[in-house]
Amino acid sequence: MTGFRTGRLDVRVSGARATLVGRIDDVAQLAGIATLLPAGDVVLDLAGVSFINSIGMREWVRLIRVLRDRGTVTLAAVSDVLIVQLNMIAEFRGSVQIASFHAGYVCPACGREATLLIDAVGHAAALRAMVAPRLPCPECGAAMDLADFPERYFGIFQP
Amino acid sequence: MESPSQSPGKLVVAHPDRRAQRALHRLVGATSCPVQIVADAAALRDAVDADTIAIVDATLAQAAPGLCDLAARAWIAVPGEGTAPADAPAVDALLAAGWWHVVAHAMPILGEELLATIQKLRRDDVFGLEKYVAWGAEVRSYTLGDAREREDAVATMARDVVGVGLPDRIASLVSVIADELIANALYVAPLDEHKQRYRAGEGRELGRELRGRDVVTVRWATDARYLAIEVRDRWGTLEPRGVAARLVAGKASAASGEAGMGMALAYACCNQFVVDLEPEVMTEVIALLDVRHKPTELGRSASFHTFVAAPAAPSAEES
Repeated sequence: MTGFRTGRLDVRVSGARATLVGRIDDVAQLAGIATLLPAGDVVLDLAGVSFINSIGMREWVRLIRVLRDRGTVTLAAVSDVLIVQLNMIAEFRGSVQIASFHAGYVCPACGREATLLIDAVGHAAALRAMVAPRLPCPECGAAMDLADFPERYFGIFQP
Repeated sequence: MESPSQSPGKLVVAHPDRRAQRALHRLVGATSCPVQIVADAAALRDAVDADTIAIVDATLAQAAPGLCDLAARAWIAVPGEGTAPADAPAVDALLAAGWWHVVAHAMPILGEELLATIQKLRRDDVFGLEKYVAWGAEVRSYTLGDAREREDAVATMARDVVGVGLPDRIASLVSVIADELIANALYVAPLDEHKQRYRAGEGRELGRELRGRDVVTVRWATDARYLAIEVRDRWGTLEPRGVAARLVAGKASAASGEAGMGMALAYACCNQFVVDLEPEVMTEVIALLDVRHKPTELGRSASFHTFVAAPAAPSAEES
């Protein structure tokens, strides 16, 4: 395991897997991630990304372009804030693999709002059809609804 | 009995549907301003003069996008039919065509938004988030003393938003919007004598004491219908003509991960985006999040408004 801290972002690299925790903002330098990861297929664990702004997104795009040239890039447990912004960037469609991601859900029964992890591989067909997987409310067990327009989360899965 | 100071003029409602005409008439009639109703673009052109605020069906506006170039006090596009919000391509097309006011949402938001917009124009009283939230809502304010306080201000806001009972999803949106708007006020607003935005390339990690024109103020409030975020700079250098078109262009930049997407990102995260400007004095951007309705019950695009305040009249001592 190796790693570094850039701005308010902690990066840990183990084999071909990098885990990012914190903010991808004006002061985060992501080029070091490509240096630490081996050439070939890689996985980025993104559950801990709590914030990304427009300048952070430009840095992120540069990182993904470098990694993509070397092999398949798989994004795992992508945080809610990041998946919404990835959906705004057309070039990510079909160019990275998304194993799982977080999405905002709301319970029609008890009103609870929660960010739930969606298995993008298991629900691949539904996501391509822009249909939100029905997931149970962590508070009352009722089936929850996606809290936003499907394209804000699932556009990236369209061919 | 006195009424608030308002300039003369009239409102013209242009909509082909009689039922929609009646609904809009009732809405804008609340301003106590004379209202004229027309059904098509030709009648609208005849009815409008320089003192008119025109409220135009979005479908009609799209069919004649150049309408907004005619002399009038303001041109406001409103959703086309029934209770459906304006669709995203229609909103983008109107912004790209230079419309300064595009309402994206259907009733009841349309009513609230339209009334505030018309009264801001008629009273030439453009600044302040108080116009968008109920009277009882407490307004919280932060003044940045140093450029490095941006992150703390944003984090404090996000924490306070969760503290009033709003979900993490709203706090995340607030974080992105506030961060982008404050960054714009700190690094894009300052203009030197050569009209260069001389802070644009400044290192974002650097400290800079904010005094005089560099002061940036952030305020927010919620009344459980809207959450309003307001960011002010003391430069007033935002170019009002074309700011809407730049937001649409910014979406394209965002689609390729290029520069220039900050304001577009803030716009994409909210439900109503308002730019208030007094040239060379102050720029205020207000982003409104609807916390009453589910996002899917609203328009896919945010409403957009640009207001330019008339320069303050010189005082008796100055004149």
